[in-house]
Amino acid sequence: MIEFQNVSFSYGAMQGQRPIEAVRQLSFSIEKGSHVALIGRNGSGKSTIARLMNGLLLPDEGLVMVDGKLTADDDSIYEIRRQCGMVFQNPDNQIIGTTVRDDVAFGPSNLGLPAEEIMRRVDESLAMTGLLDLKERPPHELSGGQKQKLAIASVLAMRPDCIILDEATAMLDPVARRDVMALVGKLKRQHGITIVQITHHMEEALTADYVHVISEGGIAFGGTPASVFDQVDRIKSEGLSVPAHLEIARLIAARTGVDYDREEIISFEGAVRFVRGVIAKYAAGPINACVCKPRFDKSQPAVIEVTDLSYAYPTAGGPPVEALHAVSMTVRQGEILGIAGHTGSGKSTLIQHLNGLIPAHKGHVVVLGRDLSEKKEVRQIRPQVGLLFQYPEDQLFEETVALDIAFAPKQQKRSPKEVERAVLRAARRLGIESILDRSPFELSGGQRRRVAIAGVLAAEPAIVILDEPAAGLDPAGRDDLFKDLLTLSDEGATLIIVSHDMEMMTRYADRILVLNEGEVAGIGMPSQIIASAQFLDQAHLDMPAPKRFLDALADEYKDLDTSCFNVMDAVTALLTAKRRVHHG
Amino acid sequence: MGKSMLGRSVPGNSILHRTDARIKFVAAILMMVATLSIHDVRVMALFVVWTVLLMAVSRIRPGIILRSVRPIVVIILFAVILHLLTVEGHVLFQLGAVKITQEGLLSGLMTALRLTLMIINTSLLLTLTTTPLAVADALESLLSPLRCLKFPVHEFAMMMSIALRFVPTLMDEAVKIMKAQSSRGANYDTGGLLKRAGGLVSILVPLFVSSFRRADDLAIAMDARCYRGEQGRTRLYASRLTAGDLLFFAVVVLLLVFVLVSRQLLPSLGSLLGSTLSVF
Repeated sequence: MIEFQNVSFSYGAMQGQRPIEAVRQLSFSIEKGSHVALIGRNGSGKSTIARLMNGLLLPDEGLVMVDGKLTADDDSIYEIRRQCGMVFQNPDNQIIGTTVRDDVAFGPSNLGLPAEEIMRRVDESLAMTGLLDLKERPPHELSGGQKQKLAIASVLAMRPDCIILDEATAMLDPVARRDVMALVGKLKRQHGITIVQITHHMEEALTADYVHVISEGGIAFGGTPASVFDQVDRIKSEGLSVPAHLEIARLIAARTGVDYDREEIISFEGAVRFVRGVIAKYAAGPINACVCKPRFDKSQPAVIEVTDLSYAYPTAGGPPVEALHAVSMTVRQGEILGIAGHTGSGKSTLIQHLNGLIPAHKGHVVVLGRDLSEKKEVRQIRPQVGLLFQYPEDQLFEETVALDIAFAPKQQKRSPKEVERAVLRAARRLGIESILDRSPFELSGGQRRRVAIAGVLAAEPAIVILDEPAAGLDPAGRDDLFKDLLTLSDEGATLIIVSHDMEMMTRYADRILVLNEGEVAGIGMPSQIIASAQFLDQAHLDMPAPKRFLDALADEYKDLDTSCFNVMDAVTALLTAKRRVHHG
Repeated sequence: MGKSMLGRSVPGNSILHRTDARIKFVAAILMMVATLSIHDVRVMALFVVWTVLLMAVSRIRPGIILRSVRPIVVIILFAVILHLLTVEGHVLFQLGAVKITQEGLLSGLMTALRLTLMIINTSLLLTLTTTPLAVADALESLLSPLRCLKFPVHEFAMMMSIALRFVPTLMDEAVKIMKAQSSRGANYDTGGLLKRAGGLVSILVPLFVSSFRRADDLAIAMDARCYRGEQGRTRLYASRLTAGDLLFFAVVVLLLVFVLVSRQLLPSLGSLLGSTLSVF
């Protein structure tokens, strides 16, 4: 279907700047009807490769062919783009039409099809993606998942042979992500559409027929998911991660000396089956090593007290929409509180109350002893509460990184010396002191994220609130960022992290608050929050994989503590907990 | 607020929805001229009936239609007060220097009605029953004679429709950036004019940067979907005019002619109110 022969590509070659090589001597091919995943770090060249596939970029050297047609050939370029549709990362920036229908019609109209045929295809594509009811709606009324499905529908209307998904699920919550992936799987199975998928989510790569690991503009290695994810060290050295069930199964195999079948453990069920077989033959050691130390200290003073907080958004014309209902919570000094909830659960509304961006009309918000229903108190509290929204790199505006980070301390009217010191401290914490003189607009996405975070930390707030700080980063980037942020908590700051990534939350938070439909569904230590699968399911959250794995095997044990948050603890628990004795 | 106004069509399948967008576009302009030219109470009554009829035919909830008047309520009030205070004539009551006259009251009411009817007519014809893409297509079709003058008609229409598509997105973005900067200590409510203008930089720069990025992304997305300008592109809403379209258009033209002729033939209040027209 798609073939690369010795392809090289550099950015900036045309503008006479120093060219930056993005793809180097790349040769590979993608078979018709297959599902191929490209994984690799941010900036490894994945997106460039995707754009070379349908002629959005043309190779400097080498050839790219689609069904035997050259992308460099002007006569076939539109046929190639019709054949290879593309879905991009940002749902907002790829919708052209002012209604769902108009957007789906955009591609076919460009092909010059008759209007009746276009309308037929609009209905057909919307039916395939389950969006038919939304046909007349303007795109900004859709959810993120619906927008991505719309982008897929718009591609389908051109009757493609191949769909290229360029991190198409990166900005979605887990439920929407699964939804979109299920749709993609259906398109491949039922319609034989080739799928090329670029992703940072390793679980998505597991469902592919073939995985290429991209590094520095080339293919570092590749193979079936089973063979690629079997090379754990190589995967990790590429800044990627291995899905938890695979890792647990491999570690158990290594500890017990039992051989595993890498094809079997690639699926979650297969891995559970394998481990079940191993522990049946393996003698249990000393009891229960899975201790999850509670770090939450109840004796610390409360820094945030929210009581009975309700909030409803005014809507144009219609009745107000309730976003928060009778929310109460206490946050204690120095703790790391996770706030979890699906998109639209009220997370963002809640955190905006905590620094007075939204005034508390119904209920009380007291932060560091100040009641935020009073306007003058809000002004006092702002510098004490650092709030970082999703994709904070969008708020950078100064000429240099240093000036941008200095914005907050300057607003506090500190002396120039103090401002400089604050900037340096924040930059050092995030490891960006070497780029202080650069313009924020010439940095990579990951660096800009760090600059934006430093810009909030420079005010040296006592409370730091971060909304999905690691969204869109590759696995290694995610871990690095969290390590840097956790140093804040070690120094006594209170951290609130908002996310729908339960695996990360259980690993880092002292306590987790779960919001569902604007209400507090539960608050407690991670082990309590993830105790019930049904509870998480109702809140539309994912069970962290290690715990899910242990739950699947709990029946083998007398008393297995399944509240383990990382792979190592899970392995230890599986090998050491007291087993039920099976007779016969 | 902003979301409710711009680019907000209400889905439906009424006669008005199905009428050709080009007809509606021209009709909207003609109705604008007509409503603003009304100066006789009887003609006004006729137009009120016409507008109510149009509202009924559109099958859109009256509440939604009336909401389109909201953004100009202040202007309407201002005009009414101006008329109340300035028009001389038979004094109804007096408070110091302030005189309210019968003529002032009447002409104030007429102005308010004129503006209200204008907004309802144009928004019913254009924004409410016509999708922005259909409007853009209509504009492209109507402007097509300008092609001879090398005017980039298609590009212009495409630009309009994309601008309409991104208004709500950019509004949300502006609010988000403002909140983010407020969290960093920026203060947009207090301080002198200069300080506030300076504060705007921290909103406008990120907004521009992100708009450029969006524009970049969008251009790539359009490329990926085989966009190549006008060349070989199907115009979705450029259907042929039906007899109904033409009939509707004829009624609108008749109404306009009627208003203009009535200005000559019914000089009752005209001499008095003619001057007020010049205000608007």
